[in-house]
Amino acid sequence: MTSNRKRKLVIMLVLSVALLLSPITGTATVQAEGASNSYNYSFWGNTVVSPDAYDATKLLTGHNLGVGSLKDPSDLHVTADGHIYVLDSGNNRIIVLDDKFKLLHIIDSFEHAGQQDTFASPQGIFVTEHNQLYIADTGNKRVVHLDEQRQLVQIVDSPQSELLQANFEFKPVRVVVDKANRIYVMATGVFDGFMEFNANGEFTTFIGANRVNVDPLEYLWKTLSTREQRSQMVQFTPTEFTNLDINDEGFIYATNGDQWGDNIKKLNAQGTDILRREGYFNPTGDIRYRVTDGPSRMIDIDVTDSEIYSVLDSKRGRIFTYNGDGHLMYVFGGLGNQLGKFTTPVAIERVGDQMLVLDKALGEITVFETTAYGRTLNEAVRSYYRGDEEAAFQRYLETINMNANLEFAYSGIGKALLRQGNYGEAMKYFKESYDNKGYSKAFLLHRKEILRSYFPTIMTILVTLLLAIFVWRKVRKWKGGKKIVTIE
Amino acid sequence: MSPSSKELIKYPFYLIVHPFNGYWELKYERSNKWNVIISFVILFLLALTNILHSQYAGFLVNIYNPKEMNSLMEFLYVIVPVLFWCIANWSLTTLMDGEGKFVEIFNSTCFALIPLVVINFPWIWLSNVVALEETTFYYFSSSFAVIWFVFLLFVGNMTVHQYTPLKTIFTMLLTLLAIGFMAFLCLLFFSLVQQIISFISVIYQEMVMRG
Repeated sequence: MTSNRKRKLVIMLVLSVALLLSPITGTATVQAEGASNSYNYSFWGNTVVSPDAYDATKLLTGHNLGVGSLKDPSDLHVTADGHIYVLDSGNNRIIVLDDKFKLLHIIDSFEHAGQQDTFASPQGIFVTEHNQLYIADTGNKRVVHLDEQRQLVQIVDSPQSELLQANFEFKPVRVVVDKANRIYVMATGVFDGFMEFNANGEFTTFIGANRVNVDPLEYLWKTLSTREQRSQMVQFTPTEFTNLDINDEGFIYATNGDQWGDNIKKLNAQGTDILRREGYFNPTGDIRYRVTDGPSRMIDIDVTDSEIYSVLDSKRGRIFTYNGDGHLMYVFGGLGNQLGKFTTPVAIERVGDQMLVLDKALGEITVFETTAYGRTLNEAVRSYYRGDEEAAFQRYLETINMNANLEFAYSGIGKALLRQGNYGEAMKYFKESYDNKGYSKAFLLHRKEILRSYFPTIMTILVTLLLAIFVWRKVRKWKGGKKIVTIE
Repeated sequence: MSPSSKELIKYPFYLIVHPFNGYWELKYERSNKWNVIISFVILFLLALTNILHSQYAGFLVNIYNPKEMNSLMEFLYVIVPVLFWCIANWSLTTLMDGEGKFVEIFNSTCFALIPLVVINFPWIWLSNVVALEETTFYYFSSSFAVIWFVFLLFVGNMTVHQYTPLKTIFTMLLTLLAIGFMAFLCLLFFSLVQQIISFISVIYQEMVMRG
C-alpha cells in the first residue's frame, strides 16, 4: 500500500515538473510529436508514424454559407485569386465564394439565344486565369463557356468526327482548359482518353488513352469459350479516367480507376505519360492494404505549384500528396463521422495552402489547414524546386527534426550538402534516405578529395620504395659480383 | 598419416584451378577425414562471407534491412541447400549407377563452393570504395564466381560418379527436380506435424477446462 502511494507521489512529481518545464521546451518538435496520427511509407514498405500535416478546422455547409443545403455537389474549382467555385449539381447552380468563404454570388442561368437557359445536373467546372467559366453540363450533353460577365461565349455540343461512332452520345463530366483555350473533356463511355477541342469548340482528337489491362484468368476463360459465349462476356476495355487537372505549365494530371497499373498520370501535349516515379514506390496511394479491401481508387487530383500534387482515394477517403519526384509527402483524411473525415468525398482543391474536400452525399466542404509540420515540409519541397538550396536545407532539417521517419527529406539535405562541398556528410544523409545515385555522386567527389589530399604522401612513399629497391638490387649485385670474384 | 598443414591449404586452391586432377585426387588419393574437415571449414567460411557481406559490404551493392539480418539464418541458408543437394544427388545417383559415396558427393559439392568465398570475400571491402558506375565490376565478378562454382560442381559430379558429361548434366537437372520434391515433402510434413500438435494441444486444453 505505502509503496503504491509512494509511486503515485513520484509520478505526480515527475508530471508536475514536466508540466512546469513544458512552456520552456515546448517547441514545434513537442507539438508535432503530440499529433502523430498520420503515416507514411518507409523505404522497406512498412507503415511508419508521421505527424499530421493537415488539420481539419472548419466545415462549410450550404446553410452556414446562406444558400440552402447543397444537393449532390460534384466538383470544386479555385482560381488563382482565391475564388472558390462550388458546383451544386443537384440544384443546377454554381456557388462562388471568396477566399474567406464568404458568398460572392450564385450562377444558375445564362442568356442563350435571347432566352434564359439553365443547367441540367452539371458534373464538372473549370475557370481559367482570365475568369472564363467552363461547365460540363452533363444532363444537356454540352460544355458551356461563359465569360467573366457570365455572358455566353459558346456552347460545345455534339462533336463531329470520323473518330467518333455515329450513335455517339456526348456526356461530358469533367473539363479543363489550357492557356491556348484548348478544351479537354472527360466524357462518360469514352475509352480513348480525353476529348480535345480547339478554341472554337471543334473536336480535334483524343489524347492519353489508358492501356488495356487484361486479367490472365479472364483471358484464359475467354480463349476457352465459344464465340457465342464470348459475345456475352464483358469486353476488355481500357479503364476510364476518373478525373483530371491542369497545371500552369499546361500538363494534364489525370487519375484513372486502374487497380494494378499506374493510376496517376501526367500527360504532355501528345498524351504521353511523363509523371516522374522516382520515389520509393510508384505514386498509387496506399501500398499496404487488406486483400479484401484492395488498392486505392483515385477519383480526384489537384496539382499545385512546384509540381506538388494531391490525389483523393474514394475507397478509404484519404488524400495523398506527392512531390514532383513522386515521393509521398503526407496523407490525411479518412472515412468516418468526425471533423476531418468524410462519407463520400468527390473533389479536392487547394486554396493557397488550405485544402478543401467536398463531400457529395453530405453536401459539405471540409477545410484543412496546414500544421507547423505540413508548412515546413511544403516550404522545403518548394525551396528545393525553386533551386534555393540553402532554404531547402534549413527547412528539411526542421522537417526531420519533427519527423525522423521521413526518409526522402534526408536526400534533400544530402543534395544541399553536396552543393556546399561537404561530401562526407552528404554521403551519410544519402545513405539515410537510400538514395544510391546521390550517394555515388557524393562518394566520387569524396574519394577524389581524399586521394588528392594524400597524393603527396603516397607518391613520396612510392618513390622512396622504388629508390630503395633499386639501391638494394645494386648493392646485392655489387656484393654478389664480389663474391663471384672471390670464388674465382 | 596426416598431411602437412601447408599442403592442406594449398590443395583446395589447386583443385579449383585444376578441377579434373583435383577431383580425381579427392576421390581416389586423399584421406576422406581431412576432406570432410576442409569441407566443413569451407561451409563455415562461406556463411561467414555472407554474414560479413550483409554487414560490411558497400552501400551501393548492399541495401540491406538491418532488422532482417540474422547470422544464424545465414548459416542455414548455406547448410540447408548444400545438404538438400547432396541428399537429392546421392538418392538419384545410387539408382543411376553412380560410383560416388555420400561423403564424396558432400566433399565435391563443398569444394566447388570455394570460388564463392575466394572471389566474394575481398569484394566485401572493395565494394566500399567503388562508385555506382564501377559496381559493374562487382556484379561481373560475382557472376563469374557463380559460373565457376557451377563448372566445379559439374566436374566434381562427373568425376565422383564416373559419368559422361551428358549424363552428368542430366543428373544435375534431375537433382534440382528432386530438391523441389523434397522441399514440397518437407513442407507437407511440417504442416501436418503442426496440425497434429495443435490438435493435441486443443484436446488437452479442452480436457483441462472441463476437468
